[in-house]
Amino acid sequence: MSDAFLSLRHITKRFSAVTAVRDVSLDVAEGEFVCFLGPSGCGKTTLLRIVAGLEAPDAGQVRLRGADLLAVPARRRNFGMVFQSYSLFPNMTAARNVAYGLECRRWSRSHIDRRVREMLGLVHLEDEADRHPHQLSGGQQQRVALARALAPEPSMLLLDEPLSALDAKVRESLRGEVRDLQRTLRITTIMVTHDQDEAMEMADRIVVMNGGAIEQAGSAEELYQRPATRFVAEFIGRMNVLQLDDGAGVTPTLAGAPIRLLAGGSGRVRLVGLRPEDVEVARAGAPTDNQVTGIVEKAVYLGSVTHVTLAVGRQQLMLEVRGPRRVLERSAPLTVRLPPEALRPLAET
Amino acid sequence: MLSTAATAIRARWLDADKLTAAALLAGVGIPLVVFVLYPLASILGKSFETPGGFGLGNYVRYFGEPKLTQVIGNSLAVSIVATILTTVLAYGFAYPLHRARLPGAGAFRFIALLPLFAPSLVQAMGLVFLLGRNGLVNRTFGLGINVYGFWGIVIANVFYAFPHALLILSAALAVADARHYESARMLGASDWRIFRSVTLPATRYGLASAVFVVFTIVITDFGNPMVIGGDYTVLATEIYNQVSGQANFQMGTVVGMILLLPAAVAVIVEKAIARRQHASLAAQSVPLVVRPSRRRDLAWLTYVVLVSLAILTVVVTVIAASFVRLWPYRMIPTLHHYRFDVQNGITPLWTSIEASLLAAVIGVVVVIAAAWALHRFQGPVTRFLYFLSILPAAVPGMVLGLGYILAFNDPGNPVYLIYDTVLILAICNVYHYHAQGFLVATTAVKQISRTFDEASATLGAGHLRTLGHITLPIIWPAVVSVGVFFFMRSMVTLSALIFLYTPETQVAAVSVLLLDESGQLSQAAAFSTCIIAVVMVSLFVFQGLLRLAGARNVSLIR
Repeated sequence: MSDAFLSLRHITKRFSAVTAVRDVSLDVAEGEFVCFLGPSGCGKTTLLRIVAGLEAPDAGQVRLRGADLLAVPARRRNFGMVFQSYSLFPNMTAARNVAYGLECRRWSRSHIDRRVREMLGLVHLEDEADRHPHQLSGGQQQRVALARALAPEPSMLLLDEPLSALDAKVRESLRGEVRDLQRTLRITTIMVTHDQDEAMEMADRIVVMNGGAIEQAGSAEELYQRPATRFVAEFIGRMNVLQLDDGAGVTPTLAGAPIRLLAGGSGRVRLVGLRPEDVEVARAGAPTDNQVTGIVEKAVYLGSVTHVTLAVGRQQLMLEVRGPRRVLERSAPLTVRLPPEALRPLAET
Repeated sequence: MLSTAATAIRARWLDADKLTAAALLAGVGIPLVVFVLYPLASILGKSFETPGGFGLGNYVRYFGEPKLTQVIGNSLAVSIVATILTTVLAYGFAYPLHRARLPGAGAFRFIALLPLFAPSLVQAMGLVFLLGRNGLVNRTFGLGINVYGFWGIVIANVFYAFPHALLILSAALAVADARHYESARMLGASDWRIFRSVTLPATRYGLASAVFVVFTIVITDFGNPMVIGGDYTVLATEIYNQVSGQANFQMGTVVGMILLLPAAVAVIVEKAIARRQHASLAAQSVPLVVRPSRRRDLAWLTYVVLVSLAILTVVVTVIAASFVRLWPYRMIPTLHHYRFDVQNGITPLWTSIEASLLAAVIGVVVVIAAAWALHRFQGPVTRFLYFLSILPAAVPGMVLGLGYILAFNDPGNPVYLIYDTVLILAICNVYHYHAQGFLVATTAVKQISRTFDEASATLGAGHLRTLGHITLPIIWPAVVSVGVFFFMRSMVTLSALIFLYTPETQVAAVSVLLLDESGQLSQAAAFSTCIIAVVMVSLFVFQGLLRLAGARNVSLIR
C-alpha cells in the first residue's frame, strides 16, 4: 500500500451502458493541488464525485491515509466541496450558509460565530454576512461557497468547476485568490476543470483525462514540454501533430524530406508533435537538417508575431514568425526547419 | 467477478441513512397499502362473493338485467356529451385569456373557477332553482321546461367540470413560442390557418388531457345526478341505490367495479399524455406577445362575458335562494334559513371544517413525505409505491368510500378503532385526493437542484437535517398550497363520504344532499352558501398570507 495521502486504485464506474471512469489509479500527496483536466464527458467530474462520496464506484478502492473511504458516506468524510454554481442554500444568509457545516458538527454557538467571521474575512466578505445568495454577485457566491466548504476544517477540498459559471474577469481574479488560500491553508485540493489555462495557472499537478481514463499526469511544464499522447498535445496549448511516412531507410520522412528525431528515436516513430513557436524559418547560415518546404496557406499578422499555416504535402504545419512584418504571400513557397530536439514522439490514443 | 465486487462495495455503504430510508419508505408505504390497496382489494373480493361461494355470479346477474346494463349506457352518454361540450366551451374561454387582450381577464378567470369552491350538487341545485318545475323561469313565464334527466345532468356537469378543464387548457395556452407565430405570419398564413397549424398542435396534449380529466370527473360525479337526474340513473347513483337503498353490497361492488373501469382507463391515458406534453416543452423559446385587435378582442369579450354570466347566474341563484323566504314564490329577503333548525343544525359545517383541517394537515405530511422519499430513494419498491400514490386518481370517490366500509367496518381490523370518527373521514379525503397532492409535491421537490442535497451531504448533514433545514424551507409555498388543496376538496367533496358519515360525523356537503332530498331547498342553499363562504374566505386568507411572506406566483387553486 502506498503512503500517499489519497490513493485511488483501479476505479471503474458505469452508468448503464456508458463507462464514465475506466480503471483509474492515482495518488495525491498531502498539501498538493491537483487538477482533473479534460473535455466534457471525460469522467473527471464522476471521479471527483467518487472521491467526495456522492457516487459509489463499481470497482476499485479509495483510501485516505491508508484507511478505506468507500465505507464512509459523504457526510462523514469531512471533505469540503464547492460546486459549479447555485449551490448556496437560497433560504439562508451568507453567514448561515457558512455556519451550516459547523451546526452539523454540533460546534458551540460562540465557536461557530467566531469561525464564521474568520472564514468570511478570509474571502473578504465580512460586510456581506447578512445577505442572501440572490443579493450576491456570482463571484461573491462562489467565495461564500468556498468559505462554507473550508469552515469545518475539512481534510481535503474538492472543487467541481468552481469558476466556469463566472465572467472572464471575475474568473481571472478568483483563480489567484483560490490558489493563495490553498497555499496558506496547505489543504490538499482536487479541482475539476475543462479550462487548460486555469489548470496550468493553479495546479501543482495536472491529470489529463480522456474517455474515462488518465492520459497523462504531470506539472504544467511537463505536459506542455513533453506531452505523451496526441490527445494531450492537442489539448494543452497549440501543437502540430505530424504523421511521418516510412522512408527508404530507417529514417522516416515528411513530404519526402528525411526527419531525424532526438528524443525517443528508437523504434518506428509515426507521430510527432511540434509546438508552432519551435518551427524555424530557414535562413542563410542556420543548420540545414530536417528542412521541409511548404506552401503558405494563411498568414495572420498579430503585431509581434505572425501566425502562418503551411501546407506540407497533405498535412498542415502551424508556425509563429516573430519580429517585424515579413511579406508572406499566399501560395508562396517557404522552407522551414523542424529542430530535432523539439520534435516529440506521440502515442496515438 | 466485477459484479460481486460491486455488491461488496454497496454493502459497505450501510449506515444510519440507510435505516432512515427504510423507515421512511415503510412509513410512506404501509398507509398507502392500508388505505388505498386494501379497500380496493376488499371491493374486488366482495364483488365475487356469492351465496354459492366465490364466482362470477354477481356479474352474470348484473349483465342479465337490462335495467342495470342500461345504466352503463346512461353514464357513458352523459359523460361523452358533457365532455365534448365542456372541452369546447373551456377552450374558447381559455384561448382569449392568453391569446387576446381582454380587460379584466383575472376577474373572468376567477368567476370561471367558482364551481371549484362549491359541492358538485350546487350546480344542479342552481339549475333546479332556475329551470326546475318550481323554478324561476317556469313560474315567471308559465312554461313547462323539464330539466330533470339527461340534459339536466349534462348541463350541471358542464358547469361543474368547466374550471378543471379551464385550468388545464389555460396552462397549455399560456406557453407559446413567438418564433412559430412569426414564421407562420411571414410565410403568409391567415389567422385561422395559424390557429390550425400552430396553436392547435401546440395545445393538443393539453386538449387531450382536458378531455380525459373532464370525462373522469363527469362519470364519477354523484351530487349532480342525485339532485337533477330524476329517473335517469347513472353508475354513481346506482351504487348508492344498491348500497344505501337496498343494502345489496355485492351488487353495489359490481357497479363500483364497472365504474372503476372507464375512470381508470381515462386516468391512465391522461397520465400517458401528460408525460409526453412535458417532453415537448422547448427550453429557449421566445414568449408570445399578443397584439391588440379591436374586432377580435370584442368578439372574444362577448363570448367570455356570456359564459361568465352563465356560471355566475347558477352560483348566485343558489346564494340568492338562501336569502329569500321561498324561491321563487315569495322573494322577501330573510335570514330565516340560516337558523339551521332542521336536520342536524349547523353542526355538520363545523364537522366539515374539522375534517378538512385534519385532512389538510395529514395530507400535507403524507404527500410531502411520499414525494420526498420516493424522489430520494429510487428502486423497485419506490416504483410500486409511486404507482400506489397516483392510483387514487383512477378510483371514483364512491368506490373508495364503499371500499372503506367493506375494509374497516369490522371490529377485527385495527382501523375499526377510528371508524365512525371524523378522523376516518379526513383520511378518506386524503387518500381520495392523494394523487393530485402527491404530484404537486413531487414537482416542488424535483424543482430543487440536486446540488443543494449534495452540498448539504458534503457539509455533514443527514437526510432528515437536509429535509428540515434546506428542502422544506425552500418548498414551503408549495406545502401551503397542498394543504389548501386538501382543505378545499375536503370541504366540498360528497361522493366518498356518503357511505362513511354517521349522524355524529355528518359533514356539510352531506347535509346539503339530505336537505335537498327532503325538499328543504332553501336550507340546502343556505348550507351551500356557508360552504362556499368558508372555502373562499380561507382561500383569500392563505393567498394573503403567502403574499405577505413574499411568495408570489403560487397558485392555490388546483
